[in-house]
Amino acid sequence: MNAIVVLSVVLLGLMLLIGGRKGLRSFFSLFLNFGVIFITLALLLNPDLNPVILTFIASALIGCISLFFINEVNSKTVIAFISTMITITLLLAFIFFVSNTLMIQGFGEEETEAISGYSLYIGIDFLKIGVSVIILSTIGAIMDVAISIASSMFEMNKHNPSVSKKELFASGMSIGRDILGTDTNTLFFAFFGGYLALLIWFKDLTYSIGEIVNSKIFSSELMLILCAGTGIALVIPITSWINANYLKKPGKMKSDS
Amino acid sequence: MKSMYKRLIIYVFIFLCVGVSVFFVNNNYQFYDRPIAQVTEVVLEKTTPMSDRNGNKDLLYNQQLTAVMKNGTEKGQVIQLTNEYSASGAYDQEYYVGNDLFVIPDKTMDPSGNLTGIITDVKRDKQALIIGWIFIFALLIVGKRQGLFAIISFAINVIILSVALDIYVKYPSLNLLVICGICMLLFTVISLGFVSGFTGKTYAAIIATLVGTTASIAIALLVLRLTSDNGLRYEEMQFITRPYRLVFIGGLFIGSLGAIMDIAITLSSSMFALYEKDHTLSMKALRDSGMDIGRDIMGTITNILFLAYICGSLPMLVLSFKNGTPLGFTFSMNLSLEVTRALVGGIGIVLTIPIGVYTSIFFINRKKARI
Repeated sequence: MNAIVVLSVVLLGLMLLIGGRKGLRSFFSLFLNFGVIFITLALLLNPDLNPVILTFIASALIGCISLFFINEVNSKTVIAFISTMITITLLLAFIFFVSNTLMIQGFGEEETEAISGYSLYIGIDFLKIGVSVIILSTIGAIMDVAISIASSMFEMNKHNPSVSKKELFASGMSIGRDILGTDTNTLFFAFFGGYLALLIWFKDLTYSIGEIVNSKIFSSELMLILCAGTGIALVIPITSWINANYLKKPGKMKSDS
Repeated sequence: MKSMYKRLIIYVFIFLCVGVSVFFVNNNYQFYDRPIAQVTEVVLEKTTPMSDRNGNKDLLYNQQLTAVMKNGTEKGQVIQLTNEYSASGAYDQEYYVGNDLFVIPDKTMDPSGNLTGIITDVKRDKQALIIGWIFIFALLIVGKRQGLFAIISFAINVIILSVALDIYVKYPSLNLLVICGICMLLFTVISLGFVSGFTGKTYAAIIATLVGTTASIAIALLVLRLTSDNGLRYEEMQFITRPYRLVFIGGLFIGSLGAIMDIAITLSSSMFALYEKDHTLSMKALRDSGMDIGRDIMGTITNILFLAYICGSLPMLVLSFKNGTPLGFTFSMNLSLEVTRALVGGIGIVLTIPIGVYTSIFFINRKKARI
């Protein structure tokens, strides 16, 4: 029996047991996201298509799945979606700048064994692939923050319609701050866990701090973590601002309830 | 007045930290053993179109670099370097004026009396520092206190992990899983303590996290044993200096911890908030709303973990496919461990929902009994 199949069945069983229909939906959304990643991967192989634009489209699709499929299409999810896409756009520019100045695209010295035997001249810009990796790795967390802020702000506005735009913005920021720590933690530990082998390798081969900091592989991991954190921080004011403006749009009070 | 004064001191302190650290990394050449050269002139010599054995088209460039040695006995001397790079840049890199490079100078000089040598790597510390500061400022400006706490707990966790790995490397007789278990305990207490203070809800979340992680690892180990690791391609693990299976399972411990903490603290703080609002709430109602909250966030957090794990393999997948490797082989070689990590994390997340709900109820009951 294949371990991965058994683990998937265990996960599906638990999700059904605890989440019922919603659990089934969550499990299915994992598959849909997988599908999006694989289609993106297939398109990335075409050197004529720009990986950054592909990533942007893939992000939009993942956003639709996570926001509109798990939840549903309503003004909350639409606002969360818009905020996520704006954040992604800003983050794309930032990551591009970062990867370019740090020269962290492609593979590092420590990975030569894994890439030996492959032709490296494949005509696909690895700088852009690197940008895609960072964006797609963090989009889940960014979306999570956006939807949490949007729903809480809607709740607050519903229970307390006289609240001012400024107060609403402040409440969005404060909810964001509460989840900032836990969401960055989720990603930090995921990356730590994935790179435990690398960290032990550095220790075993007694790399000096200088060697670790300047190595391509470590820099790129570090950048992944730092860009993820920056992205999560960035989405908080963006969502709060858009949402506050939407909820307090002049003349909107009656139409939306 | 006093708070303004205090704030001013904090600003001056941060400004000083930034200034000193930037100054340091820009002038730390003498602290490196490896010779460093700074590029002063770049000439693009030639461009050659090429295509590899799989028919992929690429461009090869040849750069002639003039650089000045920044440290060691050759400090101040001019060095001539050549660099070949491709447009795709999978393992090579175009260099620009101002880049600092680690070089190995040759023993002999070229006819014009300049040093020659080869480039081994790039010095990245300057840029890494700037980006580190951008990250810190983004978290501080948006997150204020919580941002500061996130940074501090992150720093402490990094130190704990580093010390733990030092101990592991020094005393090979210790079991990595025991070390990871102790780390897990410390990470959980510190991260959750920093995020929400040492109160009843944090204790509930800590216990839920520890039980949830242990349970998910136990399930993972059981499944791996029953299937005798079938389908897992440990060959794909890179950077291996130790028994690979142990390192992989150690990574499982740590990898899902963040997501499990996330769900545990979300559950316990919302259940405590519900209880604070209405002390008469029955335990059944409390349990039901806890389960509801859990169901709502289950999908998103599992997706965060899946995307974070799977997307890291994209560069390797692209390279592998472009080299004509068969589909099934590429996926199983490059994704089996990542998918396993994500699945185990997902199992941990789902299991933590009932565990978190019941520990919260336990702590709320205790609180109730005390009044």
